[in-house]
Amino acid sequence: MNYLMRRLATFPLVLLGVSIVVFLAIRMVPGDSITAMLGTEAGLLTPQQRDALAAYFGIDQPWFIQYWRWLLGLFQGNLGISSTYGRPVLDVILEHFPLTLELALLSMVIALLVGMPAGIFAATHNEKLSDLGVRVVAMIGQSTPNFVLALLIIYTLSAGFGVLPAMGEFSPLWQDPLRNLGQLLLPAITLGFAFAASVTRISRSAMLDVLSDDYVRTARSKGVSARGVIWRHALPNALIPVVTLSGIEFGYLLGGAVIVEQIYALPGLGRMVLDAILQRDYALVQGSVLFIAFNFMIVNLLVDLAYVALDPRIRLSEH
Amino acid sequence: MATLRAIFAHPSGRIGGAIVALYLLLAVLGMLGLTPHNPLTQHRVERLHAPDSTYWMGTDLFGRDVASRLMTGIGQSFIVAFFSVAVATLAGTVLGLAAAWFGRRWDGLVMRIMDVVLAFPAILLALLIVAVAGPGTSTSVIAIAIVYTPIFTRVVRGPALSLKAREFVDAARTFGSSAGYIVTRHLLLNLVAPLTVQVTLALAWALLTEAGLSFLGLGTQPPAASLGLMLSDSRNLMETAPWLMIFPGVAIMIGILGFNLLGDALRDVLDPKMRRSIA
Amino acid sequence: MVRHIGKKLLTGMTLAAMVAIAALPVQASAATLHMAWSQDATGLDPHKQTAFSSLRLLELIYEPLVRLDANLQITPAIADSWQFSPDGKELSFRLNPKAKFQNGAAVTSADVKASFERILDEKTGAAARANFLSIASIDTPDPANVVFHLSQPDVPILTAMSDVNAAIVPASEIAAGSIGTTTIGSGPFKLEKWDPNSKEVLVANKDWAGGATGVDGIDISVLPDETAILAAMRTKQIDFALLNDPLVATLVPKEASLQLNRVPVLAYHVLQLNPSRKPMTELKVRQAISCAIDRQEVLDTASLGEGKVTGPLTIPALATDPKQLFCYKRDIERAKQLMAQAGYADGFSATVIGATGEPPTAAAEAQVIQSQLAEIGVKLDIKMMELNVYVDAWLKGDFDMAVALNGGRADPYTMYNRYWTKTGNLQKVANYIDDTLDSLMQKGRTETDPAARKAIFADFEKHITEMSPWIWLYTSYSYTAQQKNIAGFEPVPTGSLFSLAKVTIQ
Repeated sequence: MNYLMRRLATFPLVLLGVSIVVFLAIRMVPGDSITAMLGTEAGLLTPQQRDALAAYFGIDQPWFIQYWRWLLGLFQGNLGISSTYGRPVLDVILEHFPLTLELALLSMVIALLVGMPAGIFAATHNEKLSDLGVRVVAMIGQSTPNFVLALLIIYTLSAGFGVLPAMGEFSPLWQDPLRNLGQLLLPAITLGFAFAASVTRISRSAMLDVLSDDYVRTARSKGVSARGVIWRHALPNALIPVVTLSGIEFGYLLGGAVIVEQIYALPGLGRMVLDAILQRDYALVQGSVLFIAFNFMIVNLLVDLAYVALDPRIRLSEH
Repeated sequence: MATLRAIFAHPSGRIGGAIVALYLLLAVLGMLGLTPHNPLTQHRVERLHAPDSTYWMGTDLFGRDVASRLMTGIGQSFIVAFFSVAVATLAGTVLGLAAAWFGRRWDGLVMRIMDVVLAFPAILLALLIVAVAGPGTSTSVIAIAIVYTPIFTRVVRGPALSLKAREFVDAARTFGSSAGYIVTRHLLLNLVAPLTVQVTLALAWALLTEAGLSFLGLGTQPPAASLGLMLSDSRNLMETAPWLMIFPGVAIMIGILGFNLLGDALRDVLDPKMRRSIA
Repeated sequence: MVRHIGKKLLTGMTLAAMVAIAALPVQASAATLHMAWSQDATGLDPHKQTAFSSLRLLELIYEPLVRLDANLQITPAIADSWQFSPDGKELSFRLNPKAKFQNGAAVTSADVKASFERILDEKTGAAARANFLSIASIDTPDPANVVFHLSQPDVPILTAMSDVNAAIVPASEIAAGSIGTTTIGSGPFKLEKWDPNSKEVLVANKDWAGGATGVDGIDISVLPDETAILAAMRTKQIDFALLNDPLVATLVPKEASLQLNRVPVLAYHVLQLNPSRKPMTELKVRQAISCAIDRQEVLDTASLGEGKVTGPLTIPALATDPKQLFCYKRDIERAKQLMAQAGYADGFSATVIGATGEPPTAAAEAQVIQSQLAEIGVKLDIKMMELNVYVDAWLKGDFDMAVALNGGRADPYTMYNRYWTKTGNLQKVANYIDDTLDSLMQKGRTETDPAARKAIFADFEKHITEMSPWIWLYTSYSYTAQQKNIAGFEPVPTGSLFSLAKVTIQ
């Protein structure tokens, strides 16, 4: 409990770090809200027009004053107004987040349901033909760029079978669960394929690692059945790297899957952040990066707690 | 030497080694200009030519020979993958070990900095680095290395913590072994296995990330070729000229397969526990 | 094992069933047009938006005084009729008495006056302001008539008024400061909903002065990947789509149920040289580059031949036959001679910038040009940048060469005065001007006789291609794809989708 409190206490500091970095970073990239809106036509503006637009976008002050204003707003729970959406940043983020969360969860479920059994199966059939088969499939999964997979899926379905999940208008889960799952299934498979491949490889190698460990060998020699060894002794230990990997991957997915969201036209967090960057919607970039960072830290904390649950030898006081 | 021989004795080591060696050969030939055609020459009357005896893998939109571009592209992709993973592994291992060994404040500091980096959307990071340093090979390397450093840090730190808590480290400590000795002798050696696997995974990731960066126009700059750029350029020609997607796609796949097989063999050979079980 | 396979099969079938259910078309009212594009509008203020998609969206909601038809002739919009005074310094409009804003109020001369005053006000930040600087005052003798007093004869101003950037907005909304947040226009459709980067919902405006629309509404979806747009059209989810990439557009005719509409546009693909940077400061170097480039080949490779080689004037009524322009037939020998005369027989190195995906052909154009210029010893380094980064460098004139797709206008003066006059706002980007160019542009601005005007701009075109500050390459097509049961769409060179107002679904 004490540990948890201390970890949580570091959150504000990290978030402050993230906010400063992102604030400076997005302003260091050439171009601003004005060129994003007007493109090359921005060259037709008179200096007075430019000033008026800069004031409109709130980029007329030096960066530290802008930052200070933003920070003050943050303490009042106000992340600012998005210039593209014309609405509070937090509203915009919360509107895009459920899709991202759902997609991340779905992909992880697919990855773990496929990857773990495959990995354990391969490890227990080490160097047999079936092991090789699993490994080859896993490697294909790991080596296919997700945009290739997404394009192939879309092309095959639409040109070959004349079907395609509804593109464009996205239905949230609570409005139309069936349609929603249909829309998210292919993107989740696209993301889950590579994810599952990684899980397979990691769990296979971790399993092999643990199976050769002394205590497992001891257990075997004491006459514990192979199945019993795998479930009771080997699996909990082999889970540690799987948890690490899944945690990191899940954390990434919570930040949005830009390319997959683009191809499947899903209004998720990833596309929202990319568009915000491209349109130099500073408030939205700052707010969403902060939000993503927060989620990431929560996931990491959960991963660390999971270590302890899985391996009592790790004492939290050591952290 | 013994390691090398052991790898050759290992079945997946042989296959993986052969693939990696073949790719290295192709890449070197590509860099030396020993390609069937000049990879940059545009044969304008023969645009989007299907594979035949002259152009083994067909030609692209510009009438450039895909086979020759594939050879130079392999070189380019592997340079990006190798260097970015090397940087990330080195940085991640040092940081992860430091965090695990020194614990407390160090651990907190390192891991929180890693959190900041991890929490940063990779796209924004890539955009920023490209905007500051200009697009190109070294930029891709830096961007990918920064993205993967926290992963290596975490991968090293987790098992290192677990190892540090084990009896043999305690034992070594009570026997008065120096910290440096324990870290290198016990921790690092025991980390070789997870690290090798992670490196082979990361090499695959790096190749794919380079492809993703190219998809967003932030990776290798034309007219140079990388497997990722060739793949992403092929996306709107998938129906007209499928060979533009198939060959670089298969090349990435086989390359990654080679790395993984070699990585598996390395892990088996380097892992002391494994050695014991083999012996 | 068999049991396992059975389970997998079952899961697989469930998945397939779910996809199939999701694939069923949404039951919507029969007369809603489902449309898709890859880039969304970036904002709703008609006076401030210049992005292609924003203009296309706002043209369906707002109306300018006049409009251009498919032949670029001026036709009525809010104004019924218009007239220049004999000295060309007075332009008067009579408004359509039926014109009504979507809040029910009639469009009056006061709204016209307020709209143009808003555009001219520097605090607005309207990009089109530069086109209307000759407006000295605006008179509103009665609600149906409005008179613009000009400080000097200005023929192109009428064409500039046909742009949605000169749309008439309600004076009341200007006073309330709500332009850009609420959309109250007088056009054929009302904006019911806008989720940026995701979708727009338009519903027919029953009170539109132009009569009834052919559909009850338009649902616009943003599908960022054009391959996905094509896939969605194959499965009939989308009725109508805007396409940018010729590589995707040329696949449309292969589908039996789809139709591709294409029309040559006014925008031009160009290689901009920067004559303020060595060695492009040398006329002979610029000319050598012009002679070394095979424009047809750039077009054939980068755009699969979808387009036409062009000189600076892309307006069909004014364009000169490109064959008569300087070095439009590739002449490598002459290019080499020119390089040698300029003292660059061994060539030089330079960097060419381009925006990623903007246009989609940019990287391909740069690569063909690179390979062509290599033949005269010019070593080009290609730098592709994110659009905004590119725009920033472009506006600062911070480049050796740039591949660009620059927008065209129906009037050559409006199109080029920003670059090729001494006071042009983008002189710092063009970095080249001479007395001949400047005086030809000034003459073209005030000349009212169409034949004389054509001659003036022909001279302009001939002179500027000889000076070669830029290498004009080609014009491409604007593409729309549609299901064959959609009727009545008429593509126009400005890219406007206004004729969607008359489109019907059969």
